Amino acid sequence: MTLLLKLWSLYARVSARFPALRSIVPFIPVVALWAVVAESGMFPRAFFPGPLEVVHSFGTLVYKGILPDYLEDSIVRLAVGTAAGVALGIPLGVLVGLNQRAHALLWPVLLFFQAIGDIAWLPILLIWFGFSLTTMTFVIVYTVLFPVVLNTALGVRSVPLELHRAAASLGASRARTIWEVVLPGALPNIMTGLRNGLGYGWRALIAAEIIVGTSGIGFLMFDARRAGSVVEILLGMIVLGLLWYMVDAWVLAPIERATGQRWGLVTR
Amino acid sequence: MPRFPRLWAALKFIAPLALLLILWEVLIRAFGVGPRVFPDVASVARAGLESLQDGSLLSHAGASLGRVAVGTLLAIVVSIPLGVAMGVSPAVSSFLTPLFRFFSVLAGIAWIPIATLWFGYGFGAITFVIFNAVFFVVTYNTLLGVASIPLPLRHAAASLGAGKWTMLTEVLLPGALPNIVTGIRTGLGFAWRGLIAAEMIATNVGLGYMLFLARDFYRTEVIVFGMVVIGILWLLLDRLLLAPLERATIERWGMVRRA
Repeated sequence: MTLLLKLWSLYARVSARFPALRSIVPFIPVVALWAVVAESGMFPRAFFPGPLEVVHSFGTLVYKGILPDYLEDSIVRLAVGTAAGVALGIPLGVLVGLNQRAHALLWPVLLFFQAIGDIAWLPILLIWFGFSLTTMTFVIVYTVLFPVVLNTALGVRSVPLELHRAAASLGASRARTIWEVVLPGALPNIMTGLRNGLGYGWRALIAAEIIVGTSGIGFLMFDARRAGSVVEILLGMIVLGLLWYMVDAWVLAPIERATGQRWGLVTR
Repeated sequence: MPRFPRLWAALKFIAPLALLLILWEVLIRAFGVGPRVFPDVASVARAGLESLQDGSLLSHAGASLGRVAVGTLLAIVVSIPLGVAMGVSPAVSSFLTPLFRFFSVLAGIAWIPIATLWFGYGFGAITFVIFNAVFFVVTYNTLLGVASIPLPLRHAAASLGAGKWTMLTEVLLPGALPNIVTGIRTGLGFAWRGLIAAEMIATNVGLGYMLFLARDFYRTEVIVFGMVVIGILWLLLDRLLLAPLERATIERWGMVRRA
């Protein structure tokens, strides 16, 4: 017990100095537990491999060049789809948020199409475009689009009317009001939308890769499933999780820091 | 002010969708779109009627909803107590947060391959996918919710003589409730998509399977009908169950202003 306490206080002191440790150290006991359970032979080895085997298969797949290739495919798909979804979604969201008529007309339609959900589109997309890149891109754009549109519209409508009027009475044109008042005011919501959209788009990508099945991390996992190789499935899951950490830490968080936090709109 | 505000609101919601229906029919006729590309309204309605009459719609939708209900309820029952227990101590919760964030990122679809391997194709694998989609997201959010309750509040309650139980029911749970409800809503969103994907891959009954089977026969009218059903079911679930729940908790405590 005292040893544990000592370890804990050491961890507390070190992690205060190096905050990055806080998102790494908690995984150590989990991996250790995983190794112990796998070693104990509680489950058949083929169903429940240990961490070392996963690391080994990581090495093999990287060496063969499969993993980097698939990873690149997945990331490119996600990036292209997300960029297109955002490029379409923000203007549409501003329109729906600013124009009363557009809101009345489009809001129910948007809600309905969002409810259908990306993955339900896969069968008909497969009929239209076959097992192709178009199908996957369509699904991701669709998934990212709706959260971005709906949240942008919410954000735009949450900008107080007084601010519009103040900007207008100071002589700002309509376009300038949108650029300098509406968009910054809606940014926290837009970021929420982007986060949600990426969260869903990410899952849609995996599902699409499993079902369409030509390449990508989702395909890697399902292909491994067909071959009964749990090691590679686990590897795929870990890669997916790490990838999200990177997207979050290197893409989303900096954007939020540079915009929302700077303007004091988001408190972290 | 109209005389029946709720009816008026419902009409205003439905009118654009009805417009969309008309537009759909007009476009199909104007461009002569073949039924293998996109069906017309009448054939979708016929497909719907057919599936109602032979009871297949009911069995597919029933199977899907049953899986969602079982998986979600199990997950909620397990994850809220777990989340509260882990969130009580600030040190423990800050230690565990990265772990649960990692797993809530993976929650849902990414588990389909391994779930089908562990449980075989069928009810077990799909319910497992739904369970863990909801479980990790709700646990993570509960953890965050409890951890975000200001420590002075807990000290205040304790110094006013609150026991463990009172503390739980009067401070911790209400304080974390907005987060919990948000977690449930997000988790169900993931679960619903996971369900459709898993049903396409790993079963022989359910809405996702219905769509995927229709694809094999190029029966676009069945696919479109299934999509409409999925959309309506989720809208009902979200608007009648989740949104009111969120309103009842978050808005009551003035945490979110709704536009």
